[in-house]
Amino acid sequence: MRNLVVFGGSSHPELTDLICRRLGISAGKTKLQKFSNNETSVELNESVRERDVYIIQSGCGHVNDNLIELLIMVNACKIASAKRITCVIPYFPYSRQADVPYKASGAPLARLPPATPQGEPPQQNTEDLSQQLLKKLTLAAAGQETNKEKAPYREWVARSGTLIADLLTCAGADHIITMDLHDAQFQGFFDCPVDNLRSLPLMIKYIRHQIPNYENAVIVSPDAGGAKRATSIAEKLCMDFALIHKERRQVRSEKAELILVGDVRGKDCILVDDIADTSFTITKAAALLRKKGALKIYALVTHAILSAGAIENIERSTIDEMAVSNSVVSQNQRITSKKIKVFDVAPIFSEAIRRIHFGESLSMLFDPNHAIV
Amino acid sequence: MSDNSIKIFTGNSHPELAKLVARRIGIDLAKAVVMKYSNQETSVTIGESVRDEDVFIIQSGCGEINDNLMELLVMINACKTASARRITAVIPCFPYARQDKKDKSRAPITAKLTANMLTVAGADHVITMDLHASQIQGFFNIPVDNLYCEPSMIKYIRTQIPNWTNAIIVSPDAGGAKRATAIADRLNLDFALIHKERKKANEVSRMVLVGDVRDKIAILVDDMADTCGTLGLAAKTLKENGAIQVYAIVAHGILSGKAIQVINDSVIEKLVVSNTIPHEDKMAICPKLDIIDISPTLAEAIRRTHNGESVSYLFSHVPE
Repeated sequence: MRNLVVFGGSSHPELTDLICRRLGISAGKTKLQKFSNNETSVELNESVRERDVYIIQSGCGHVNDNLIELLIMVNACKIASAKRITCVIPYFPYSRQADVPYKASGAPLARLPPATPQGEPPQQNTEDLSQQLLKKLTLAAAGQETNKEKAPYREWVARSGTLIADLLTCAGADHIITMDLHDAQFQGFFDCPVDNLRSLPLMIKYIRHQIPNYENAVIVSPDAGGAKRATSIAEKLCMDFALIHKERRQVRSEKAELILVGDVRGKDCILVDDIADTSFTITKAAALLRKKGALKIYALVTHAILSAGAIENIERSTIDEMAVSNSVVSQNQRITSKKIKVFDVAPIFSEAIRRIHFGESLSMLFDPNHAIV
Repeated sequence: MSDNSIKIFTGNSHPELAKLVARRIGIDLAKAVVMKYSNQETSVTIGESVRDEDVFIIQSGCGEINDNLMELLVMINACKTASARRITAVIPCFPYARQDKKDKSRAPITAKLTANMLTVAGADHVITMDLHASQIQGFFNIPVDNLYCEPSMIKYIRTQIPNWTNAIIVSPDAGGAKRATAIADRLNLDFALIHKERKKANEVSRMVLVGDVRDKIAILVDDMADTCGTLGLAAKTLKENGAIQVYAIVAHGILSGKAIQVINDSVIEKLVVSNTIPHEDKMAICPKLDIIDISPTLAEAIRRTHNGESVSYLFSHVPE
C-alpha cells in the first residue's frame, strides 16, 4: 500500500495505532504540539505528494483544540499536494447540541443564565385611557422605543452542525468517515461524500458472545429518538423490544415522568444508545427498569464521552454491565469502573480505509452476518 | 424603512476591552451567553434580536486560542442564521498570524485557513489591528480594515517618556525595520537596528547593533512580544553599547511562558503594550508593564464603519 498515509491527531493515538496495525502499516510521522502562546503547531514529517491521506481525529477531550488541529492538518496536506484527503472522525463533534445547557456537574441548568432577558408577562392596563395616552406621549418624547420590547424575545441557541461541515470542506477535506452520527441527516450538510459507518454489527456480536441467555432478553431504548436504532437490533436477533418515554406535561416542572412502554418483568434488559455523555439518560432509564421488575440490566453505548461525574453515576446506578466502544477517549482517561467494558471499533475503520483506498464496496460493513474478526 | 443599529457582542477572550469600546460608543453590550457544555463543546446563546442589524463581534486571538476562535466562528454563524444585516468580526490580535507562509515542507498556512474559516462562517467584514504581515489582508475576499497602533504609540512617547527628544528608535530585528522607521520619521528621531549575526549553523548567534545609541534613550519597537527572548537580549546589547535607558513598545503583548520573568530580570525600564490582549494578572507581577488603551481607536472604527464614513483619519490620529 505504497500510496496510503494514515496520520493520527492527538485526540486518540491509541485508536490510530490499532487501526494502523490492522492495516499493516505504521502511522505517518507527525509532530503535534502547542506553541507557548497556545496556538496549535502541526508538522508533517512524511511526504504526502500525490498520496491518499487519512487523518484520524475524534471529537473528544478538548474538542475545540482537536478540531482546529484537524483543520490545520487537512490544510497542510492540501497545500502539500495530497491526492485525496479523508477525515476519519469516529465521534463527530458538535453533531448533537443539548437542548438544555448543563452545568459542569452534569445537572441541567434549571433557570436560564441571568444575562438572558426574562420576558415579562404583559401588564394588565387598568389605567384611564387618557393617562395611557399621556404615558405613551411622554415615552415617545423621551425617544424610547417601547414597541420592540413588548414581545419577550426567546433566546437564540446556536446549532453549529452546518458550520463544522463548512469548516471541514473549506479546509480541504474530500471525504469524511464517521460512525453512528447522532443525526443521520447530518450527511446532507456536506457537499463531499460522508460514510456513516455502523457499530451495529459489533454490538450484535457482543450480545451474541458476551451476554448469556440473550434470546430471552429485551432490547430497550432509553428515549424515543433511539427507537429505530434499538428496533433494528431487536429484529436482527429476533428479540423483544421496549421503549422508555419522557412525558413532558404542559406545565414546566423539573421532574419529567419516565414511562416504560413494553413489558420487562422477570427478564434481562439490554439498553442501547448512541451517546453517553453525562449518563443521566441511561442511568435514569436503568432505575426505571429495575423498578418495573427487570433482572439483569446491560447497557451498550457507541460513544462514551462520560464527562463530569458520569462514571460515579454509573457505579451507583442499577446497571450491571456497560459495554462501550473505543471511538472516544473518555474525559476521565482511564475508566476505573469494573462495570464498564470496552469493545474495539478499529476493525471496522481499518476495513473501511482499506476498501476506500482500493475502491471497493463498503456494503459488507453494514451487514451483521459478515464477521469482522 | 427602519434604521439598523450597532450591536456589539463579545466572546470570552477579552470582555473588558469590549466593555470599554461599548462605553465609548455610548451603548450597552448586546446580551449573549457563551460557555461550554459539559463535554467541552462551545455553546452560544444570543439573547437579543439581531434581525437586520449591524453586528460587531469583538474577540481577540489570545489565551485559549482554539476555544476563542471556535466561539467567534459559532457566534458569527449564529448571527448569520439569525438574519443579521452585516456581521463584522473585530479581532484586535489576529490568531495564527505568524503562520503565514510555507517556510518548510508541508507547513500549513494557518492564517489562510483562519481567513477561510471566518468567511465560511459568514463574516462580511473584518477589523483587526497591527497584522503581523499586512499581506494577510489579501488572504480574505471580504474587506479587511487593518488599523494601526502607531498613532497611540507616538502619543505615548510624546507624553509619557521624559526627555523623548533625546531618544532613538531601535528595531529588534531586520524584519521590523520598516515599522520602526515610520515611527522615527513621524517623531523626527534617529533610527537604529539590531541584527542577528550567524557565523555558522549551530553556533550561538550574537546580536549586532547597526547605528549609534551612545547617551541616548533607546526605544525598542516591535509588533509582538511573545517569549521576550529577543527583547531581553536586544536590551542588553543596547545597554552595552552605551544607551542610558531602554524602553520597549509593543503592539501585541502575548507574554507567554517565562516572558514576565525575562522582562523583570532584564535592563528594560518599561515594557509598554496595548490592551488588545488582557493583562490584569500580569500587571500584578510585573512592575515594568504599562498599558496603552486602544479602545478609542476600535470604537471610532466601528462607529465610522456603521455610519459609512472614512476610516483614514485613524491611520494617523488618535481619537480623543
